This record gives sequence, C-alpha cells and structure tokens, in this order.
Amino acid sequence: MGTTRIAIVDDHALVRDGLARLLTLETDFGVVGSCGDGAGALELAAALRPDVILLDIALPDIDGLDLIAKVLDRSPESRVLMLSMHSEPEYAAAAVARGARGLVAKSASAEALVEAIRRVAAGETLPSEERLSPREREILALVAAGRSNDEVACELGIQRKTVDGHCERLMEKLDVHTRAALVAYGRRIAF
Amino acid sequence: MGLIRVVLADDHALVRSGIRALLASSGVDVVAEAGDGRSLLREVRAHRPDVALVDVSMPLLDGIEATRRIARLSPQTGVVILTMHDDRSFVARARRAGARAYVVKDSAVERLLEVVRRVAAGETCLVDDGEPLDEPLTSREREVLQLVVEGKTNGEIAELLHRSIHTVRNHRARLMRKVGARSAADLVTAAERLGVAVALPEPGRE
Repeated sequence: MGTTRIAIVDDHALVRDGLARLLTLETDFGVVGSCGDGAGALELAAALRPDVILLDIALPDIDGLDLIAKVLDRSPESRVLMLSMHSEPEYAAAAVARGARGLVAKSASAEALVEAIRRVAAGETLPSEERLSPREREILALVAAGRSNDEVACELGIQRKTVDGHCERLMEKLDVHTRAALVAYGRRIAF
Repeated sequence: MGLIRVVLADDHALVRSGIRALLASSGVDVVAEAGDGRSLLREVRAHRPDVALVDVSMPLLDGIEATRRIARLSPQTGVVILTMHDDRSFVARARRAGARAYVVKDSAVERLLEVVRRVAAGETCLVDDGEPLDEPLTSREREVLQLVVEGKTNGEIAELLHRSIHTVRNHRARLMRKVGARSAADLVTAAERLGVAVALPEPGRE
C-alpha cells in the first residue's frame, strides 16, 4: 500500500501545524502541503493533486463550502474532507451535497480524523443526514431572529398551535431544553 | 530549568492534540488537558502547572472567567490565552482577568513556545492600555449568562454553582435588567455583545 498524500487548509497556523504533526505520526500518511486560505488551496490543489485535502469550513477569503467545487475543478481526483468547529449534521450534509466526502468536527479525536482520512482515501463517502425539514429550518431561523411563536405563526400564516408543535419537535431533535438554547443553536446553523 | 508543566484547555480535541504534539518535542510537558472551563479549574487545582494555555471559547465557563479564577486558585500558574481573534477590547479583558499573555491561533509554533517560556519564567507580556471597559456584569452574572445561553435550566445552574435556585433566579433577573434583555433571543445577543465566549455542548464533544 502506498502513502496517502494529504494537504491541509486551515487559517490558523497553530491548528494547521498541529494537525500536520499528528498526521505525520501515521506511517502511511504524508503531508505534502498546507496553507491558510482559499487562494492557496486552489494553487496547492492544482500543483500537488493530493489524495486527500483537509479543508476548514471557515476561511478568511472564501466560504469553505463554496471552495469545494473550485478545488475539485483543479484536482478532480482529490477527495475533500471538511474540518469544522461545529459538529451539527447540517454542516456535514451541506458539505457532502457540494462534493465533499465528509466532515470531521474539530471536537473529534485524532483517531477519528485518521480513520476518516483512511475511509475517504479508499473512496468512501462518510454518512451524513439532514435532521430538519425545510419548514423546521424556516421556523428555527425566525426563532433565532427573536420572534415569539405568535409572531412566527403570523408571519408564516399558520396556527400558533402548529408553531408550538414545530418548536417542541425542534427542541427534541436538537436535544435542547430551553428557548435560549434553541435561539443559540438556530443562530449557529443558520446558513 | 526542568520541563515546563502545562495544562492545555480547548474545547476542540483535535486542536488540543495538535498543539500537544507541537509542544511535545520542545521541553514542554502537557500534564493535563481540559475541554471546558470547569474541568480546567479542576486540573489546575490538581496539578498546579507553571502555565495554563487557555482557549477563550469553552463550554460551562469561558476562558476569561476561568482565568480570573485561576489567578486566585493557583497564583503561581501563568495564564496564556489562546484566541482566534486579535481584538483589543478582548485583550484588555484578558489582562484584567489576570492573563499574562495571549497568543492568536494564527501564530507560528515558535511564537507560542517563546511566550510559554517567558510566562513560565514569570514574565508578563500584556500591558494595560488604561482604556475603560464596558463591563456591566459581575463575574458571577457573566457565568450565569453563559450557562443560560448554553441551554441550562435554572435548576441545572443551581446545581453547577452549588447555589439555591432562588439565588440563580435573582442573578438571572438582575443580569437581564442590566443588559436590558426581555427574551431568550435578547440574552443570546447580549452574550455576543459582551464577548461571553459561549460554546454550545455538541454531540461527540468530549
């Protein structure tokens, strides 16, 4: 078995270099390049054609999700694995929908990252699923913007009782127990 | 000088492991890791490290409040704040809380090592610029605000803080009055504005 050639794109040098050091500990991994922004990622993809590109979702010059297609355009054989501060399934689903092979949250362990890299290098796409329906996302966005259930009902032209039901199901799905947490989550996954 | 003993706190395990790997070969011994502000205080109490490397945004208790408590709990420990942003008001708050230095995550590892060595040697790398701070809340109120925004109920907060639910309700009412919040959404906005570095608990987070 050959070496898996990996490139790392993350705007924080300490994180980037730390990940490179960790991955280099695997004898069958080689970190061939790294950079801190989208422009660098495109150059690196074209010049090095890495097997796996680790791509941070939050970059200074371009949304990481928008970068996926551009990177694959430069290096169609590469597998893009997203990195994110957030582990909500919404991010993974959005990334896979745009051509990434999966997403690893930065809260994951080093072992989980290594395993994810091996799987996408072998051609797999990591599982991801949407938790929320389009209607639920719509309601969550309004709640996150500070609307009361009455206001949401009025705005969407539906019954207050229906909104209450949606909110209850949202809290169950997101496993939160207070309105404040629902608002905070809503703001985080609003994209 | 022997190895510098460090406790490393960041809520993202991959970031922690990476920084630990970078420090490993450089005369720095990471004696413990922590993924939230409260376990950080426990580790500092247990290990009395030379240096605590503290990420700003952590669940339960953010890096600034944790720093304030480390300064009381273990005065010999120098706190180095790790941050994503190079923001002046934030740096001033970190300094007031007792941090001796801060390092942006964008820095090279050499810079991090230099700061860790200087702080371990007793130096302070932050100076007070004398600017007044907009800090309307007490330390306890900031903590309660963070826990509310992270989705804790009054009962859960009371248990975490070892206070009665009555006391928690009072803190909560007072802080809502102070920041002019009337709804949950207002509280989330206030936390953002005051730089309370909320980190929501996530599935799979350690």
